[in-house]
Amino acid sequence: MLHLKNLRKKFGDNVAVDHLSLDIHKGEIFGLLGPNGAGKTTTVNMTVGLLKPDGGGITINGEGSPEDPKVRCRIGVATQALAIYEEMSGEENVRFFATMQGLGGALRKERVAWALDFVGLTDRRRDKASQYSGGMKRRLNLAIAIVHKPALLLLDEPTVGVDPQSRNAIFENILTLREQGATVVYTTHYMEEAQRLCDRVGIIDHGKMLALDTVDALIEAHGGESRVIAKRAEGNVEISTSDPLGELQKLQATSTLQTFRVEWPDLEHVFLNLTGRSLRD
Amino acid sequence: MQQLLALTAKDLRMLARDKVGFFFAFIFPILYSSLFGSIMGGLRSASKGIDVVVVDEDKTKDSEKFIVELEGLEELKVARADKADAQDMVRLGKKRAMILLPEGFGRARRQMFGNPPHVEIGLDPSRLAESGILQGVLTAQLYKGVQRMFSDSAAMDKQIDESLQEIRASKDMDPATKMTLTTFLPGLKTFMRSLPEGGMQGGGFPQPKIEQVDIMRSESHPTNSYQISFPQGCIWGIMGCAAGFGITLVVERTHGTLVRLRMAPVGRAQILAGKGLACLITTLAVATLLFTVAAFVFEVRPSSYPMLIVAMFCVALCFVGIMMFLSVMGKTEQSAGGIGWAILVLMAMIGGGMIPLAFMPEWLQSISDISPVKWSILAMEGAVWRNFSPAEMVTPCAVLVGIGVLSFCIGLKAFKWES
Repeated sequence: MLHLKNLRKKFGDNVAVDHLSLDIHKGEIFGLLGPNGAGKTTTVNMTVGLLKPDGGGITINGEGSPEDPKVRCRIGVATQALAIYEEMSGEENVRFFATMQGLGGALRKERVAWALDFVGLTDRRRDKASQYSGGMKRRLNLAIAIVHKPALLLLDEPTVGVDPQSRNAIFENILTLREQGATVVYTTHYMEEAQRLCDRVGIIDHGKMLALDTVDALIEAHGGESRVIAKRAEGNVEISTSDPLGELQKLQATSTLQTFRVEWPDLEHVFLNLTGRSLRD
Repeated sequence: MQQLLALTAKDLRMLARDKVGFFFAFIFPILYSSLFGSIMGGLRSASKGIDVVVVDEDKTKDSEKFIVELEGLEELKVARADKADAQDMVRLGKKRAMILLPEGFGRARRQMFGNPPHVEIGLDPSRLAESGILQGVLTAQLYKGVQRMFSDSAAMDKQIDESLQEIRASKDMDPATKMTLTTFLPGLKTFMRSLPEGGMQGGGFPQPKIEQVDIMRSESHPTNSYQISFPQGCIWGIMGCAAGFGITLVVERTHGTLVRLRMAPVGRAQILAGKGLACLITTLAVATLLFTVAAFVFEVRPSSYPMLIVAMFCVALCFVGIMMFLSVMGKTEQSAGGIGWAILVLMAMIGGGMIPLAFMPEWLQSISDISPVKWSILAMEGAVWRNFSPAEMVTPCAVLVGIGVLSFCIGLKAFKWES
């Protein structure tokens, strides 16, 4: 669905994207993770045609590059910053962008109604967007992104600043879209979101792809060992191990365990192991 | 106190880091005050170079001499034409006034007695502020002739001899007057000879007659002062409305909706044109509302409604094009709004929308042609009271449309998707 080949982009002396290659398959949810300044937004901006790459190529759905308007309209974007008109109602917002995408007549009416219903805003469709809560605005942002039924959906931090209910609703929406055949590129800082939603995850830093695989494979390869933390009469103990159950059995055999817990490696461990723990600019 | 100083320092630091904001806070006021200073300087030193056209219907040596004298004055920029052309030049706003020297002007100026020299001036009704200056300049120049006569005894002798010959030959002058003059004039001749070198300065002779005449077409009189002031007011209304639209593109950019628009199969030209069309419709609505109010409240009756529609459209198109260009220049809403107003005010100053062009320094007058405000005023006045024909309307309208389209194209070229 999305093919990036040797993509390069520099801003002055700063290399934002450095020979990045990537294949995203049709119908998958792909997580693009990376620290601040890693090159995620630059990659997304090039993918949607907002920025012209210095080198390399982008092909969408085998149809061409996003420079071509016909190709570009196969993409839907929900940006991190809410891209909505606050003084227009939810319905007016969705209808306007549907019109911009070339929809008209009965089809537009149907798609607008579908998009609003999909994100649960039908009841409030006539209210001004400025009267929406943060979560509702996020859902409206998503409705606008999907109203023209894009084959490729780019979601840039789509859950920033929303309550757990709205976040959950957005997750449900994304999973439903995948079931309907959409390909989703999802950028986030929330590792648990990526772990929950994404079929595959790519971790980039300094404009380069550091690792790319399924969540389980990444954890297996880069997550490190599990940690067993136990409280005994003799004192507390913390053990890093690749076999936590075996370690627990050993501890139980030699002492009386009062409490214990096992910390399994997760995507956050993978992320920190690959990108380091130093703070980024 | 610490907090107060911290807030102040923060705002100053932010101002210094916003290049456009810094320009408008520090550099622009210097330019602005220099410009205003130049204009006011020009104003204090009275008119410099009022554009006039002289019609010589007398066609004598004396009238020619007077025109040459006028051409030598700093206060006037003199062109010559026949009456019909001169009237058109003033009506079309190409010249500020017509000075007509009627038949007999030379003779009247030369003679000491009888009718005083008579000059007709036809003024552009929108430039009445300059009429006083023009009348003053003409009066001073006509008096100089009298003064010269009294300071040149040979010329005076010649003039007295000519007058005596005419008086003696006159058949319709009553004998008593003839007797008085034929006694007085030789006495005057003797008196003038007795004066020291340089003769007598000044004299109490008949005051030159300067008559203001109507040069407008009969159906094109401004019926009241609002007829003249409203077109200019309307242009300010259009500029204000267009300036408001200058920030909309920046808003799209800062609110992220431009990214969404980028996703749609629309180009930069369509986006800019869409915004321009909204701006055009709004400015036309504002102009229509203004003229409706003007018609009902101030009794402003345009000489031609179709011409007014054409003029309003061209003026609106011009400023919409300019604002679309300026809208792509701003990075923030504040800077876009600031740029818009600053440029429009400058255009108004240069174009005579604030102070009559005649009061401006020569160098400013010479660049006024590049200001769309000048052409806007001309087009609107042409439709409201100058009674322009379609052919006469072509130039200002073409200039306005040209500026608008050119500005739009430059804006389109400068428009970048990413900030």
